[in-house]
Amino acid sequence: MNNPVIRISIWVYLAIFFAYLLGPLVIMSITAFNSPSFPRATPWECLTFEWFSALFRDERILNGIKNSILVGIGTIILSVSMGLAGALMLTQIWPKLRATYYTVIIAPILIPGVVLGISTLVFWDRINRMLGLGADSVLSNGLFLTIIGQSTFIASYCMLVLVARLQRYDLALTEAALDLGATHAQAFRKILLPFMRPAIASAAVLAFLASFENYNTTTFTFGEYPTLTIELAQKVRYGITPAISALAFMIVVLTVFAALFNEANIKRKEVLAKARRDGATVGEVSGGVKLPGFFTGNAAAVALVVFAIATIAVVGTATVYNPKQCIANVQEQKRLETERRIQELREQRKRDAEAKAAKDAAEGATTTAPRPSNDSGFGGVFAPGTLQGDDETAPPEDQEPSDNSGFGGVFDPTNIGGGD
Amino acid sequence: MPRFLKEFFNRNGTLMGSLMLGLVLFWTVGLIILPQLSMLDFSFRPNLPPPEIGGPKDVYTLENYKYLIYGPEGGSQDYNAVDLRVFFRTIVAAICVTIFNLILCYPIAYYLGQTKGNHIRILALMLIIPYWINEILRAFALRIIFGESGVLNTMLVGLGIFDTPFDFIRNDIALYAGLGYAYILLMIFPIYNVIESLDHNQIEAARDLGAPWWRIHKRVVIPYAKPGISSGCTMVFMLSAGALAAPQILGGPSSLWFTQLIYQQFNDNSDWPQGAAYAIVLLVTCILLVLAVMRLFKVNMGDIGK
Repeated sequence: MNNPVIRISIWVYLAIFFAYLLGPLVIMSITAFNSPSFPRATPWECLTFEWFSALFRDERILNGIKNSILVGIGTIILSVSMGLAGALMLTQIWPKLRATYYTVIIAPILIPGVVLGISTLVFWDRINRMLGLGADSVLSNGLFLTIIGQSTFIASYCMLVLVARLQRYDLALTEAALDLGATHAQAFRKILLPFMRPAIASAAVLAFLASFENYNTTTFTFGEYPTLTIELAQKVRYGITPAISALAFMIVVLTVFAALFNEANIKRKEVLAKARRDGATVGEVSGGVKLPGFFTGNAAAVALVVFAIATIAVVGTATVYNPKQCIANVQEQKRLETERRIQELREQRKRDAEAKAAKDAAEGATTTAPRPSNDSGFGGVFAPGTLQGDDETAPPEDQEPSDNSGFGGVFDPTNIGGGD
Repeated sequence: MPRFLKEFFNRNGTLMGSLMLGLVLFWTVGLIILPQLSMLDFSFRPNLPPPEIGGPKDVYTLENYKYLIYGPEGGSQDYNAVDLRVFFRTIVAAICVTIFNLILCYPIAYYLGQTKGNHIRILALMLIIPYWINEILRAFALRIIFGESGVLNTMLVGLGIFDTPFDFIRNDIALYAGLGYAYILLMIFPIYNVIESLDHNQIEAARDLGAPWWRIHKRVVIPYAKPGISSGCTMVFMLSAGALAAPQILGGPSSLWFTQLIYQQFNDNSDWPQGAAYAIVLLVTCILLVLAVMRLFKVNMGDIGK
């Protein structure tokens, strides 16, 4: 481990790994601010915020967000309560049944989402028909089916989170409450639920995130209620625009924000707990420079604030910044470039025609003369005009001597000023 | 009322007990078991218009499964070469993605699990953040990179490695990179959880006894981490074989993933029984494969999902 070669190779490996992991997100975020209408990071043209306003004008995206939130709320309620019931049952179930029961409730995590979506659709369609309900009943409603389909496997995630905390619960607490005359419902509400609250909160967050990003199951069940993910998938499949990058950028920023906030809070609690244990003030524990309350000895909190200020700065710039001039410049440049190419092409054709004429004239006399070869090795690849240009005017065996430089006519002095 | 049920209600109260039992039964029977059975049943039925369902023509048939193997009746080929090729390609590619992810993630998981320090928390945070971004958006990010005028092609052409942009999408490189990318975390965390609990003294002891680093991994770390490795591999394999978003966005125009065929049967052909049959084939094949590999490496089912 202490070998410097191993140490360096570990760091190189970490760098490559995180480049693979984070690089795509960074590049996608950059494309949200570049002006070409196809999302690309290179070549950089103009800083623009236009894609963000394009995003907020998109009715379908906004509708998708609304549906996603509806589905998310439904999924949280259903899967957290099913997960809690499932976790409680796991602690009480008859030991012989335990392994089978565990396999059944863990299976939805491993079943492909596509299969879950199809089975939900097929099953509820059949129930619907058995009850003799029409095609517009609740049971064939996209919202209902999506919530049901997603909860099938999200409840398993919730169960895993809840069971981890439930294992540390002391059953004697519930028994004591019952002995003191509480009903079962009271004991559950006043003793078990407060104990489980942190785990329930993380299960709810997990459920919402899983529901928000689910595609495989939802794509079969959404019906009239396309969620954000479905809308995005349809947009990405049929033509991509930087507006999607803009949305992605906002999600990335929100995620980083939430993660830093969470981290800062945990750190804060750790510091407080340490201070209480040692009977010292927070300042003494962290020992460093005195910072106001929340920041003391808390790198994540500092990062959070820096990040927030950066966000505010960017939004501030966006309100005053106007990229019109820059975009106009780029368009002008592109026009000049195109004109230059056309000019080049014309020159090339003219020269080709001349060469051909000269060659035709000389042909009778020098039929046995060796053909001048293109000896540069680069051929004509660097001259934009050569490839398309000489096909019609000159057959390949007529490669004229002037092409020997390999750079075509790019360096021809007449071409440089050609665009004006 | 059976005794264990009475005990159950005694312990939980009638109201709470029946609420709990109701929710669990709804979940296990109503959402997990019955829909799967219903899909299985459905896959053995012919594709009929709604009025004829339950009528005399609604009988069990193997037609949908035969279709996958032999193709349409009276077709020009003996076998349904297109669909079968897609099916085997999906399975093989999913296995390759799993192995690639294992090789990529094992060192990271080992490093995170066995190193102490503040930067580990930050690295873990950096691992989790991409996982919170939508699956579609992650695939979209890779498409920007691998596109014909994408960053990677601009770089490679600029460095002079290629003369013309290389079509990563048509050659399926983007697809494999995308699938690997999507499930990295599901491979890292199970392995990390196990390796974290490995006593570092065991590694020290092996080193003191003169074992080279690869033998320490082979004889100490990997046997210990086996439950985590198998759990990660199972999840990555099942999810990439069942992936739909990445193949739809990153797959080339000519290449199809098996889930895309299922999707087509449902949405374009409106042939639900056929789609259900394909889904069953995919599910059963994946489960059998996972069980076979677990048998081979002597891992228990109970270790999965820990």
